[in-house]
Amino acid sequence: MAEFTVDCLGEACPVPLMKVQKQMEKMAVGDVLIAQIDHSCAMKNIPEWARNNGHNVEIEEVDDGEWEIVIEKTK
Amino acid sequence: MEKKTEQYDVVIIGGGAAGLTSAIYCGRARLKTLVIEKALVGGLATYTNEIENYPGFPEGSTGLGLMELFHKQAKKFGVKFKLTDVRGVKLEGDVKTVETFRTNYQCKAVVIASGGKPRLTGAPNEDKFLYDKGISFCATCDAAANTDKTVIVIGSGDAAIEEGMFLTKFARKVIVSVMHEEGKMDCNEIAKGEALANPKMEFIWNTTVAEFRGDDEHLRSVALKDTRSGEIIDVPVDTCFMFIGYVPNTEIFKGIIDMTRQGYVITNEKMETNIPGVFAAGDVREKFLKQVATAVGDGAIAGYAVEKYIAESEVFENQIMDQSMPGIVYIWNAVVPESRELLKEVEAFEEKYKGQVKVNKADVYKSNGIAVRLGVDAVPAVVAIKDGQAAGVLTEGITVESMEKLLGL
Repeated sequence: MAEFTVDCLGEACPVPLMKVQKQMEKMAVGDVLIAQIDHSCAMKNIPEWARNNGHNVEIEEVDDGEWEIVIEKTK
Repeated sequence: MEKKTEQYDVVIIGGGAAGLTSAIYCGRARLKTLVIEKALVGGLATYTNEIENYPGFPEGSTGLGLMELFHKQAKKFGVKFKLTDVRGVKLEGDVKTVETFRTNYQCKAVVIASGGKPRLTGAPNEDKFLYDKGISFCATCDAAANTDKTVIVIGSGDAAIEEGMFLTKFARKVIVSVMHEEGKMDCNEIAKGEALANPKMEFIWNTTVAEFRGDDEHLRSVALKDTRSGEIIDVPVDTCFMFIGYVPNTEIFKGIIDMTRQGYVITNEKMETNIPGVFAAGDVREKFLKQVATAVGDGAIAGYAVEKYIAESEVFENQIMDQSMPGIVYIWNAVVPESRELLKEVEAFEEKYKGQVKVNKADVYKSNGIAVRLGVDAVPAVVAIKDGQAAGVLTEGITVESMEKLLGL
């Protein structure tokens, strides 16, 4: 199970979501992606999209207004 | 992956205005409090650009800004936050479990403040184009991507019109599909006036969505149906923004918690659901007005009720159900003369068996929690406790002798 990181700091929607989608395509089932974001709207559309596709999602607030979205690819 | 188990006093499901207010009350009452939020703390309010009617902010506030203040205040009282979604719950009994994909959280009380999610039209192909494929529920999220493009807004409520006007700052044209006749909208009059005067906004009256059309990649057009003539109007758009209200987020509580047909949780004025120790607050409840201001009220009540419930549980376990000696519980109502009269008998009994029988009194005028836990609805009543178990109830002829008999003394 590999772990990947995409840096979306300073990027506004929909760029973070598109980066996440691109990276997820390349990954295998069981791999984990960590998306670093600081744009609050990405907190809505990334988890929403990921859950809709059945992936596991958990978010860590690493700093004030800075988050890491952890997505485990399930299929 | 091995699941962890963590212990809390109270778990609050949902980090919107109601959940955060509950958290502030619970945290301040020194309860070990966890808020589980599936995305951004602040909930639905963070989708709004302007909140003008929340008291205390005469200059208005952004939804996100206001919710950040709520969040900060909850953190100040030691509330913990976990940003993930809840997979399932076990709510019966004294120890409740709230399950996320990595952890089982065990707690004494649960507050359901899960709010709602956007309502869908149910029109054909809708599911194919949700979120990134062309149907959006968040103008703040997706407005910039629609710079100089044509978008359609479905709905005419406050959210639809306000978000629609925000979109005009980016999009070339904002088409609004309204199900009502010309000039009739669900939003407030000020927003309506501004929207009708906005040159970038175009209204298509008397229409609902008939079908979403597109290819594998993206939505290409929305087919609207004229509700009078039945005529289908194909409107080519880049993105469809849908604001036709919300449905409660209650799937995981189905069959466990009592709800209305629409899925809203039914509570009493203390925010109690049908299960002891489970409370609900905010938009997820069946209620008259859904606003930040009313969510805050619900949250405060639920937070206070949680604190009372947990305190009562401790009294119940440690004092009432004390296993070290037999006991009786006098369930009475301090404002009823008959109850006060019998108090003398109970006190005489207490005096006679000092050090041998533990006597507790539960005044239902203050709270009926203890009586409910003992399964007694008659007042006055005496319940015998032996070996930490209820062992008989007396509802008539309460005297020192009958209490002796009840306990087998």
